Amino acid sequence: MTLVKDSPPDAPEIRPEAPAAKKRRGRRENLAGYLFMSPWIAGFLLLTAGPMAASLYFAFTDYNLFNSPKWIGFDNFTTMFHDPRWQKSVEVTAKYVVIGTPLKLLLALGVALLLAQSRRGQAFYRAAFYAPSLIGASVSVGFVWRALFSDDAIVDRTQSFLGFHTGGWVGDPNWVLYSLVALTVWQFGAPMVIFLAGLKQVPKELYEAAEVDGAGPFRRFWSITLPMISPVLFFNVLLETIHSFQIFGSAYVVSNATCGPADATLVYTCYLYQKGFRESQMGFASAMAWMLLLAVALVTAVLFWSQKRWVHYEEDAR
Amino acid sequence: MGNNGSVERRTVLKAAGASLATLGLAATTGCGGDGGSSGDGTVTIRYAWWGADERAKRINQSIALFEKKYPKIKVKTDFQDYVAFWEKFQTQAAGGNPPDVFQNAVGFLRKYDKRGVLLDLKPQIEAGNLSLDNFRAGVEKVGQVDGKQLGIPVGSNTMSLVIDEKVFEKAGVKPKQGWTWDEYFAALKKIHDTQKLPGDTGYFSIMYLYDLYLRQNGKAFFTKDGLGFDEADLTEWWTDGYNRVKAGIVTDPKRVEQDKPKSSLSAAHGASEFTWDNFTVRYTAEGTSTYGLAPIPTTDGKQTGQYLASLMLSASARTKHPKEVAQFINFMVHDPEVGKIMGYDRGILATTEQFDAYKPADAPNQAIAKYETDVAAAGVLGTITPHPAGADTCESAFLRIGGDMSQGTTKVADAVKQFFSEAKTALAS
Repeated sequence: MTLVKDSPPDAPEIRPEAPAAKKRRGRRENLAGYLFMSPWIAGFLLLTAGPMAASLYFAFTDYNLFNSPKWIGFDNFTTMFHDPRWQKSVEVTAKYVVIGTPLKLLLALGVALLLAQSRRGQAFYRAAFYAPSLIGASVSVGFVWRALFSDDAIVDRTQSFLGFHTGGWVGDPNWVLYSLVALTVWQFGAPMVIFLAGLKQVPKELYEAAEVDGAGPFRRFWSITLPMISPVLFFNVLLETIHSFQIFGSAYVVSNATCGPADATLVYTCYLYQKGFRESQMGFASAMAWMLLLAVALVTAVLFWSQKRWVHYEEDAR
Repeated sequence: MGNNGSVERRTVLKAAGASLATLGLAATTGCGGDGGSSGDGTVTIRYAWWGADERAKRINQSIALFEKKYPKIKVKTDFQDYVAFWEKFQTQAAGGNPPDVFQNAVGFLRKYDKRGVLLDLKPQIEAGNLSLDNFRAGVEKVGQVDGKQLGIPVGSNTMSLVIDEKVFEKAGVKPKQGWTWDEYFAALKKIHDTQKLPGDTGYFSIMYLYDLYLRQNGKAFFTKDGLGFDEADLTEWWTDGYNRVKAGIVTDPKRVEQDKPKSSLSAAHGASEFTWDNFTVRYTAEGTSTYGLAPIPTTDGKQTGQYLASLMLSASARTKHPKEVAQFINFMVHDPEVGKIMGYDRGILATTEQFDAYKPADAPNQAIAKYETDVAAAGVLGTITPHPAGADTCESAFLRIGGDMSQGTTKVADAVKQFFSEAKTALAS
């Protein structure tokens, strides 16, 4: 659509319409807009909003998929808090988020710093480091991971060679979660690319000025790079944290669909899945889903609140 | 879009029509339900089961045979592994779209009967579309619940003890019918002391074995609607189990976990393992030793508590073709050719027609057939106790919590409490 301003000089002059006609035309345009959006709106209502409303309702019921849901108020939530497996799932997920997310971001930032400098074969390295992010979520990688960390597999052998034999991570309740952490850290490519973009935005003059003032590489990183990319860092922290809370596929596959051994990989969504689809407690599973939503919302809110203290925006205008 | 910025009415109507059409299309593909019958009177029935490729090959061969004999009935199959199968089945059943015929087991009968999913096959039997004759040792009773025939057995099996024969021989242990638990555990200790090998791979978290032990003591794992034992019983069973792991006569559960998907018995990290007799084919395939079947230990030197359990074929209460479904099941359980094709893949063939038609040529299958004949001859077979709705969840909880307990991550007392609490929830739902 052409803008009036750019119309060629000989274009017919556009006269202002009468207000009533204009209003009518506006309504018609809106209607057309809504009609064109209608497939999407219908999809949203049927596939997103509807199920969400339903699950909110089920969260307060006893529902096994076959009998009609029975209203039980907050019982699902009270049962949840007293359920040792639920507590375990919260603990496992928290551990995974708290250990996995910072490690992943540290690695992403580190590699981004290395790749930000121009050197030969840069494109290749970027692609190579990004590749795991593309395939990492697939089930087949889960299987590969399981194979890598099994007893007498490559990780175990390397460990034994270095003198500390654990007998593979996959079967050991104390170790298996770290194989999942390793899997998420390995997929650092996506935040790395975002860091790279952020690093490119830092003005060169700042570094030059700092160098003239005698600032070393660490000082330059601490006083220039970090504050300058803090909005990008914030974005990555937010995204990766939310992402970590939702871990399911890798835990499910690496544990051979058991979320074990000894519930050591019983991440929140895994327990939710077991409750819903194996034990047919859909009401309880829905309640769990809404608790997860609340928890993620809370963590997000805390992160947003904290950004005042450490995120630096150029114009200081938020 | 028009240069003047306004949208023609016709365009709007077209757009509306198009989006409605899209929605309509989505709706039809979403439901996808024709009744399974076509113009020329051919009906299609859906048959779902769990298992692996080997079973798929055999089942497809059997179905080809069936379709040749009944050209008006087409059979569409679908299979997954055990866990995925039941997850999918449950969703389909809840959505009112379960397969017409499906593989079933005793732990699921009451659960899905209670929810109105299973077809009572009695009327089909009375109509002559399905025969209940010639089932071995009364195994057809496994499919009966409250006077209804909800499943037709395809094969039967019984709990057994698989042993590494070489290790047992070297240790000088000879299992015999009627040996006691004390003798069994003494044997494990002897194996541990002389062969430096745990004797058992973890008997205490196998629900079906504990059921046998309870039956030997006049109880059972389940009653019609609950658990047939109390916390004190389980505390004793699990405390002993834990102590035996600590003493090294039962395989370290971490080791068992590492060996998966292999069994610790075939990985040579244990000398014996309790399991269903028809599962024993796998050990010879997986391991390097020779494996044999031994009798279940007893409490009083007589009763093993054993019974015949079975895989069954059940039908959906919603099927539009009950007659064809009955004919299909009838063919699958009675036809001698099918017996030859299926072999003991789903347990010892349930009907005498099929049992007589198939003579196993390989040693493991011969051993299984002999085992069942011996057990029947020993007169120890009893009738199966009920499995209430929720039995399946109880079984997996028993296995999981028993595992936690033996890993030492949960104290025995807490593990017992947790099992009873989870079982209570499962049996109530």
